[in-house]
Amino acid sequence: MKKIGIDILLICLIGAFIAREMYNKPHINVAENPADISVTANILLADFSLDETKANSKYLDKIIAVKGTITNIEFNAEKATISLQTEDDFGSVVCYLVKDEFKKSAEIKEGQEVEIKGICTGFLMDVILVKCVMMHIK
Amino acid sequence: MKILSTFFIGLFLVSFANGQERFLTKKGMISFFSETPIENIEAQNNQVLSIVDATSGKMAIAILMKSFMFKKALMQEHFNENYVESDKYPKATFKGDILDFDKMVGIETTASIKGNLTMHGVTNETTIEAVIKRTVDLVEMTGDFFINLSDFDVKIPSIVKNSISQKIKVSFRFQHKPYKK
Repeated sequence: MKKIGIDILLICLIGAFIAREMYNKPHINVAENPADISVTANILLADFSLDETKANSKYLDKIIAVKGTITNIEFNAEKATISLQTEDDFGSVVCYLVKDEFKKSAEIKEGQEVEIKGICTGFLMDVILVKCVMMHIK
Repeated sequence: MKILSTFFIGLFLVSFANGQERFLTKKGMISFFSETPIENIEAQNNQVLSIVDATSGKMAIAILMKSFMFKKALMQEHFNENYVESDKYPKATFKGDILDFDKMVGIETTASIKGNLTMHGVTNETTIEAVIKRTVDLVEMTGDFFINLSDFDVKIPSIVKNSISQKIKVSFRFQHKPYKK
């Protein structure tokens, strides 16, 4: 009888531990995970402007590595936003870098070709990538 | 003197009418807050697109649901998969009119914005109070309001009913800049 009691207690403890681990599950680390899809900024935007629903199912929530030329860099509160050039007049691919990421690449400037990895959240006027990290600077 | 000032005001109005001025931000902030005795849940979205047409006082906002960032990954997952179903409804939108927008100049004014808020595939008519500051090169809006989850057909399973509030506080801050084509 006593043994069953200990078993139940043990199961409860393990259960509580697993529940806590799940509750505190960390966010996906973009830097440590490989990209699901690699594209150029141009193709990424074209896919979204052509058929947004289809592009949503293809790109949303995925880690995207996107190659392109920087048209604009904005800094605010230790965070940087980089826009990548496309052939479209209005839209571009906008990458929201994680905190402090721009320090690692302090020498980035407009006109430079870069590859940036981030999670795609969708398309408004631009395709938006969040939690971005820099990959290559040529 | 009076004629001169009338002339200048007239000139000012004409230049405004001609401009078809649009103000825009791609980095609007919207956050929400759910408060219960068990748990507070908070998420922020810094990629909100908002456009104000200065001539007509109309505004339009588009929000990507997946751009809401939570402190806990599990909360974000539940929010997207179970509650707002962001795969099915990736965007929330608001379209409305800023009442008396043409009378605002320079100083901060509290104004009502009347329009339709669409989220989770459901559209509701709402009136939102905002503090608006309008200058030549900036239209700034801040404010907060409450939404009822049931109004938008967002179902909360009874098992977590006590940790998610039915009334969610939504705060926003938009700094619209003149839009150059």
